[in-house]
Amino acid sequence: MDLYCVRILRSQPLRLALTVGGIALCIVLMLFLLSVYRGVADGSVEYIRQNKADLWVLQRNATNILRGSSVLFTSHGKNIQKVPNVKSTSPVLLLLSAVRKDDKVATVFLAGYEPASGFGGPPELTEGRLVLNNDEIILDESFATKFHFKVGDLAQIQGDTLKIVGISTKTNAFVTQYAFVTLSRAQSLIGFPNIVTCYLVKVKEGSDKLKVARQIRERVPGVEVYDHETFLQNNIREMQSGFLPFIYTVAAIGVIVLTAILSLLLSINILERRKDFAIMKTLGSPSGFLPRLIVQQALLISSAGIVVALVLFFPMVALIEKMSPEVSSKSSAEQIVVVVLGVGLMSLISSLVSMQRLRRIYTLEVFS
Amino acid sequence: MSRMENQTDVVQLASVSKIFGSNEHKTIAVQDISLEASSGELVMLLGPSGSGKTTLLTLIAGLVEPTSGTVSLFGRDIEDYTSKELQKLRAVRIGFVFQTFHLIDSLTVIENVALVARFGGKTKTEAKRQALRLLEQFHIEHLVKKFPANLSQGEKQRVAVARAIANGAELIIADEPTASLETKQGFDIIRLLHEYAKEENRCVIVASHDLRIVEFADRVLRLEDGVITQTQLRAINQLSNEPTNESICGIPLTSENNNTII
Repeated sequence: MDLYCVRILRSQPLRLALTVGGIALCIVLMLFLLSVYRGVADGSVEYIRQNKADLWVLQRNATNILRGSSVLFTSHGKNIQKVPNVKSTSPVLLLLSAVRKDDKVATVFLAGYEPASGFGGPPELTEGRLVLNNDEIILDESFATKFHFKVGDLAQIQGDTLKIVGISTKTNAFVTQYAFVTLSRAQSLIGFPNIVTCYLVKVKEGSDKLKVARQIRERVPGVEVYDHETFLQNNIREMQSGFLPFIYTVAAIGVIVLTAILSLLLSINILERRKDFAIMKTLGSPSGFLPRLIVQQALLISSAGIVVALVLFFPMVALIEKMSPEVSSKSSAEQIVVVVLGVGLMSLISSLVSMQRLRRIYTLEVFS
Repeated sequence: MSRMENQTDVVQLASVSKIFGSNEHKTIAVQDISLEASSGELVMLLGPSGSGKTTLLTLIAGLVEPTSGTVSLFGRDIEDYTSKELQKLRAVRIGFVFQTFHLIDSLTVIENVALVARFGGKTKTEAKRQALRLLEQFHIEHLVKKFPANLSQGEKQRVAVARAIANGAELIIADEPTASLETKQGFDIIRLLHEYAKEENRCVIVASHDLRIVEFADRVLRLEDGVITQTQLRAINQLSNEPTNESICGIPLTSENNNTII
């Protein structure tokens, strides 16, 4: 690293600090978006991923449960049960519902399931127990934290009062959180006692799942059958299609701001050092010397920005998650490497943008 | 003046003209200038502001191309040099001294001198060693860690001269090197340049309107409106230490219409 590059940057400490700060915030933003994306990508489908069902049966043309509707009847369940090699059939009814506490109202993704089978219930409890009867409910951990619910409290759902008996984890879908009640309670809330969203099917041990799926399609009209992995991927794809564009847009803004800040600083430095650069050109600086100075400045500032960002990032995430428990994030070394490489690339682009100014600095400027 | 045996042609200009702009905006900066400058020689371009001195220097340095005529540097037509070769030439074989010194403010004295040595291809250590040796030679080694802002005008110009010769330049181009200096400082600087020309057998071309320093020149070329109006050959030992008010080196201080030249 050339001494002169460091001297240029140090000559304006406030400007340098502001630039490094701005870049650090852009990097924090990008890291945060990536970690939130990973947190949401994993969290929103965790309910499905953790489920032990071999096959998911939904209404024909329904592909997922996150952003699709599926209505089946209890008669479908009876027909599915008759298909050879089907071991068990567990109905689940999913609906958006409002939970009220005092004057606060929040929406949950209510999953009604049969406690006896266990299929369709919470993947994991951090506190309490599973629901046993119709007057009980399990809430997601981040939802409970945000709205100050705890085991033993009462929650109002569409006029009914339910007792919170458990707190679940891996049930945060970011835009909403899962809550669990008995199937009959969910059906009574919706007002149709014989309606479900899907059936979770276990096949008999040793039987071919795909063959069973084909037989269900043949014997039960109006249904779509997915194996576990396909259904999981369907939901991930659906989540990404709704969430990724937002992430990409905000990340792109972060990248543009970062590049703009860096280009601006480099350009200002070139303008301010115009005389010095003209002198160096006159004195015979090698052709790569001045461009290298610009690249070095960019990399130096970016490196400082990355260090500051990493120092700020983890406390900031902890603070955000404390303030907004529904915001779940997952950080990894891989994300940091991606962001560092991205920032390095943006630094080079900023350098190239600023370097155009070097061409308009002439040796004759020193003769006056 | 007969050329000494160890003298070699460094600069040759043949009928060089430089015109800026075109049509009604045309400015003739220098016109039909021919000159030669050799190693061991201090040539002075004397003339008032706007006479074309600086343009002539930039032509000699290969920083601008002549509109007509040929410029040869170190025995080779300047047009035959690639831009990379010209850059290398300026880094290694040509040194520059400017009126306002043009030191890099954010570098210390030694770093300023070493920078040019680095441009010339020396390693960091070699460049610093060379810079220190020159600063000692110029008796300003106590300034090595100072920044230009903390130097006097005279000190700045001494550093600038040290920088100009950091690579052992065979040609020094000095544009008004004494204009910003007091008389004694000006003499010190021109003496340094003169010593460099004589002791190191280098070519020094000085553009100036400062008549106080012409006594150090081997040759004085007087420019007016881009044209050499008078060439005066001088030997240093023939010069008076106390120039008269009427003329210096045979060049009158007043023009024909009695206007003061400087």
